[in-house]
Amino acid sequence: MSLKLNALLKSPWVFHLSTGSCNNCDIEILDCLTPRFDIERFGMLLVGSIKHADVLLVTGSCNRKSAERLKRLYEQAPKPCLVVAIGECSLSRGMFIDSYNCPLPLDKIVPVSVYIPGCPPKPEAIIAGVVKLIEKVKKGT
Amino acid sequence: MTREEVIKDLREKFKSDIIELFDKSPKRIYVEIKPESITKLSEFIFRNLGARFNIASGVDVRYHIEILYHFTIEEINLLISVRVKLPKDKLEIDSIANIIKGANWIEREINEMLGINFKGHPNLKKLLLPDEWPEGIYPLRRDYDEWDKNAIRDRGV
Repeated sequence: MSLKLNALLKSPWVFHLSTGSCNNCDIEILDCLTPRFDIERFGMLLVGSIKHADVLLVTGSCNRKSAERLKRLYEQAPKPCLVVAIGECSLSRGMFIDSYNCPLPLDKIVPVSVYIPGCPPKPEAIIAGVVKLIEKVKKGT
Repeated sequence: MTREEVIKDLREKFKSDIIELFDKSPKRIYVEIKPESITKLSEFIFRNLGARFNIASGVDVRYHIEILYHFTIEEINLLISVRVKLPKDKLEIDSIANIIKGANWIEREINEMLGINFKGHPNLKKLLLPDEWPEGIYPLRRDYDEWDKNAIRDRGV
């Protein structure tokens, strides 16, 4: 495991990007971060700029406009950057798969490390996904 | 002003413009009018009857494209839907964005989704679709099919 990723595991800072979701997944992410589930006590902090972040949380089905923004954000993120796809829409575009405005799934645009399914996923599912991500990085795969 | 007065007013003042006035339910009436009299009628409903402009909706109904302008008069709890039918070979209508400011964005959206030309609109450019969207392809028409060769439409299984 690289030194950079090892340092990242102590306190992964997250940046939250909604690429046109219905906001349910966004609310569940905020539930995770705020005191009820409180994953901030493990050092996961929501930051305001992608340039400070180690993890990119993506919700929503990428449409033609936001896919360009997503690519630009991923270019600006300091590497190594881990991408977490949250919710059915960002995994496979869900019910919007035949829409004229959603041409590609998220993992064809940027590389994705963890998929968290659900519509919306429960905060417990998001925490389980994060734990799996940390395990995966620790093993070095 | 009561509901009956509103219907009587519309029938008397716009006798030649109204094709059909359908009294659907106590809360709702449909007024079908000729396309060229939309500015006159919407100005009357908006200014004189004190209605609020809710939204306009465009539908492709195979033989023609129709636009419904929805107005609410809140004191008497009445929703007036003004229906306009446009033939497919002549898709243009006068813009009401100069009379009602709130109609600006929905007319831009109907323009890009269905390809209806709003004459006299102050700023008729794309609202929701990306800039590289090709000209002459309208996604909410019935005959729309995919133009983008890179788009993936299977679930990958």
